[in-house]
Amino acid sequence: MPEGIEIQLKKGVLGLCVLALLSARDNYAYEIAARLADDIGMGEGTIYPLMRRMQSDGLVETYLVESPAGPSRKYYRLTEAGRHAYEAQKAEWLTFSRAVETILNAPAPSMTGEIA
Amino acid sequence: MTRAEFLTRLRRGLNGLPPETIDEIVADHEAHFVEAAAAGRQDPEIAAALGNPERLAREVRVEAGLSRWEAEKTPSNAVAALVALIGLASVDILFLLPLLVGVASVLASLFIAAIGIFIGGGAALVAGPFFGPPGGPLVAILIGIGLMAMGVLMAAVTAVLTIWLVNFLVWFARLHYRLLKPALQQNESGEI
Repeated sequence: MPEGIEIQLKKGVLGLCVLALLSARDNYAYEIAARLADDIGMGEGTIYPLMRRMQSDGLVETYLVESPAGPSRKYYRLTEAGRHAYEAQKAEWLTFSRAVETILNAPAPSMTGEIA
Repeated sequence: MTRAEFLTRLRRGLNGLPPETIDEIVADHEAHFVEAAAAGRQDPEIAAALGNPERLAREVRVEAGLSRWEAEKTPSNAVAALVALIGLASVDILFLLPLLVGVASVLASLFIAAIGIFIGGGAALVAGPFFGPPGGPLVAILIGIGLMAMGVLMAAVTAVLTIWLVNFLVWFARLHYRLLKPALQQNESGEI
């Protein structure tokens, strides 16, 4: 399954991206979806099941804000648990991606000498 | 696809979930259309970017079934999660189905055998001493108690195996979640 890796990568990282966006500031689903669709190419429809799951896991909570354009907007904010999850996942991701980068950037073994 | 058509199909697909949940999910998607339209996008393009409403609904239902199972490991929740999974009609699940039916029937017969042994043990315990068994009444009572304990143990082991099996399926289903496919297969997501 060659596409499996890409799906798994994006899926795993999607939750982390949402946590990161919300840690910067509270936001509503459309803007999160539009941002992630542009930046990492995820389907916009993905955001709603994900937000529901994060809400039932207690990572985010919602509140309504009057909107100038039509009905009030549902904003999401991180809970205390969401903040902890963000810190933990971010650290994990950075460790992992640095390790991968180190491997990718390792100098190629020279063509002449045998590797001891 | 128009906004109304998308929302109608989404709502129809969610049929069976609690009404508040359905309203909430439909409202979320309706708000998405409002926001996107305010950003200057057209309804058909917005609907295409969201993906197939039936598939979205199926995935929400699977997720709801899986969460119920994870919250409370009762037989009815296991059945609900499995039914939702099969509803996803993933090819992988269809491939697995014959195997699953086999494993499930083995588990079911183990349960029945455990119950049978338990009842048999009870009968040996209660009635055995009155039939003058070889070795005396005490042996019959001990054999009865032994059989009953064996029945309980078998049932417990089978229950643990069943929970493992369902957990494995939940894990497998998450692995094969198809939510991201619309993003990766732009061509497919536009069509019905």
